[in-house]
This record gives sequence, structure tokens and C-alpha cells, in this order.
Amino acid sequence: MNARLRLCFGFILAGLLAFAGCSVLEQGTQILGQAETVVEKGEKAVDTAKKLRSAFSDFSEEEEYYIGRSVAAIILGQYPPLNNAALNRYVNKVGNAVAMFSERPEIYAGWHFLVLDTDEVNALAAPGGFIFITKGLLKRCPDEESLGLILAHEVGHVVAKHGLQSIKKANLTQAFTAIGTEAIQAYGPAELAQVTSAFEGVLSDIVEKLITRGYDRKYEYEADELAVNIGSGTGYDPNGISRFLQTMVGDKSAVSGKGWFKTHPTPEQRLDRVKSEIAGLQTVPSIAVVRTQRFKSAVASLK
Amino acid sequence: MKISKGTVMAALVLTALCLGAAADGWVVKVQTTALRKNPQFYAPVVANLKAGELLTQVSASGAWLQVKTAAGATGWVHKSAVEVPRYALMASAGGARTQAAASQAALAGKGFSKQVEDAYKAKNKGANFAGVDRMLQVKVTPAEVKAFLDQGRLGATGGAQ
Repeated sequence: MNARLRLCFGFILAGLLAFAGCSVLEQGTQILGQAETVVEKGEKAVDTAKKLRSAFSDFSEEEEYYIGRSVAAIILGQYPPLNNAALNRYVNKVGNAVAMFSERPEIYAGWHFLVLDTDEVNALAAPGGFIFITKGLLKRCPDEESLGLILAHEVGHVVAKHGLQSIKKANLTQAFTAIGTEAIQAYGPAELAQVTSAFEGVLSDIVEKLITRGYDRKYEYEADELAVNIGSGTGYDPNGISRFLQTMVGDKSAVSGKGWFKTHPTPEQRLDRVKSEIAGLQTVPSIAVVRTQRFKSAVASLK
Repeated sequence: MKISKGTVMAALVLTALCLGAAADGWVVKVQTTALRKNPQFYAPVVANLKAGELLTQVSASGAWLQVKTAAGATGWVHKSAVEVPRYALMASAGGARTQAAASQAALAGKGFSKQVEDAYKAKNKGANFAGVDRMLQVKVTPAEVKAFLDQGRLGATGGAQ
């Protein structure tokens, strides 16, 4: 190879190397650039994480359970449970059947249902899957479909976290501030007092909505919608809820005092919405005699 | 452009974590659940799972995830029983000590806990916690629900998701 050719090769090689080098450099820069973006994203993610504990949905499944336990304890401090193991077991089967067809079949400590020994017409759902139905409401149910749809309505409240959504912003902030971010085995006395006070604020917001004032109408309508979907998904005739609501139309005794119709929209308003919801279903299951029979024998002991 | 080695390392670690943890890592969020042989609540139980247990996704079918446990068992869990371990991911992104602490707090169930309930209970004698505990004792197994659905000719339209 002569000198000129060698020089030429040299140039080509240098050019190739330079090109390759540039390319590598470029790629390297790109990678580093991407790395920076990733780091930025990481930092943003960490910032987001700080903000994560600010909304009702940021309570962990376990925290929701502990909130629900206390709300349930307050309810059971006001209404005694019905001492009827067989009936409670039957209600738990209907409730667990519909819960299985909800968006949240699995919940921290499982779904639990209980009949309350009062003639008030009411049903209540505490966060975490604690659901109550009064003897008075049960006596008004004409069939298992109605009971299934009412329990699906309550399951719907829990699935959509309507209880946690009732917590006022100030109490949410107080709660997340008191809880803090440090991992500790147990709270010291001063911190415990702060966290407990925040806990009380959270509970009082939920109980006020649940028992005294009632959820916002939009939540009740949403729960009815969910009831129609969950109920019909389970195989229940969704008109069961209409058959129950119909028994309430114009009934002043059920609307007065504490109870479901003190805290819910009127039966007429709900009937209208439920009707159009059912009209939108692809398949509407029919009522079955076998279910009505087992319902009648389960509630036969109620007086 | 000036980028320190540390930044690049952090970026690589973060990328690996993003790819590894976010894509197929899950953590059990309910107190207990079952790893099942098939994607159905009444399918045979392969193993029992507890809150905080980490799982790796193998595949998915509807609302069910096929996962592998740390012990190597493979089976199905319903997606409502698990969540993405987001706090763990954030915490590992590097240097975020507070977030690491937050993650442990969240994963260890700190915040509103048994200790807080006990403090509340001591101040509020009217709340009936014994009644709540009795309510929790009534349990209906998936097999019982299945028998109840079958006996009542239910479950045909939707199928337990």
C-alpha cells in the first residue's frame, strides 16, 4: 500500500471513527438526557408521593377498615343487633353473593352484614364493608331480589367509598398531618392524642352524613345505579328494588324520624331513575320462585 | 451537559425499578386472601396470602391476576385484593428518606391502627366494639356463596368476575 492510499484509508477510518464516535456520543447524550428525564420524573413522582396522602382515597385498605370498625361500633352503640343467628347468616349469604359481583369482592377483613333490632326503615354501610339493615326494612322487602338489591346499594356505597368521601377537607388534612410520614412502631402519648383527635374528626364527619344528614343525592343515585348493575350481574331481577321502593311511596311513617327516607331522596325520584337504569341493561334477569321461597322462610320468624 | 455518576446510577436504579416493580409487582392489601388454582373465588386454594406479601405477575384474565409468590407458588388472585406497591417504588427512587419512611408506615399499617382504636375506645364507652367483633365472627366462605348462588339459580348472567 502506497503512502497516498494509506493516507486515504487513514482519512476514511478517522471519518468512520468520528462518525461512530459522534453516534455513540449522541446516543450517550440521548441516554443521559433520558436519564435526566427519568430522574426528573422520579423527583416528580416523589413530589407526587408527598401529595398522595391528601385525598380520601389515600387511606390504606387497613386504615379504611379501622375507620369502618369505629363507625360500626358507633352504629351498634345506637341500635342493638337482632339476636337471630339463622336470619343473620341468610342476610350474610345474600350480601356476600352480591359483593362477589361488585368491583370490590375482596375487602380488608371481608364483607359483613348484620340485622339491627329496630322497626325504623334503614340500611347503613360503614367503610371497610360493615353493612347494617334494620328489621323494619327487612319486613318491607317482598322477596330476595329486593333484599339483594338493597344490600347491593349499600355495597355500592362502600365500593365507591362514599363514607370516606364525606370527610371534610380540614379533617383529612388534620388526619394526614397527625399521622405523619415517619415509620414508628407505636405513637408516643402526645402523638397518639393528636392522631386520636384527628380520628374522631374523621368519624364524626362520616357518622353525621351516614346517620344524621344523609349522603348527597348524587351518591344515593350512584349507589342505586351500582345496585342495579351489581344486582342484575348476580342474577337478581333488578326490579326488586322498585318493588321495595313502591311500598314506601306515600308512607309517612317510614319517612318521618330517623331512617333511610329521612336521609335519602324520595321513593318517587329514585323509582324514576332506577327504571331508566334498568331499561339500559342488556339482560334483565327474572325473579325465581326458589329464591322467594327461601326468603320467606328466612324472615318468617320476624315480628 | 454535566451529569454526575450518582445521577446516572440513580437513573438506572429508578429505570430498573420502574420496569421491574411497576410492570408486574403487586402487594396484598387485604388482611388475608387465597392464591387459587383457577381465576374463580371457589377454585381450590394453592396457598394462603397475608397483607404485605409481594407477588410477581405472570399473566392476567379479566379481573384476575396470575401471580407467583416469593416462595415460588403460582396461582390466581382477584385484583381487588392487591395493589401496586407504589410507596416502595417511590421510596427506592433514591434519597427520599421521608418517602421511605412513609412507605414503611403505610405498608406496616401505621396511621389509623389498633393503637388509635384503643385510644378512641377508652374515651368513647358508648361505642360497641364487642358487637363489631361478634359481627366479624360470622363468615361466609366462597364455597358457601357458590352453593347459595347455585341453589338460588343465580350467577348465570355475570359469572363471579
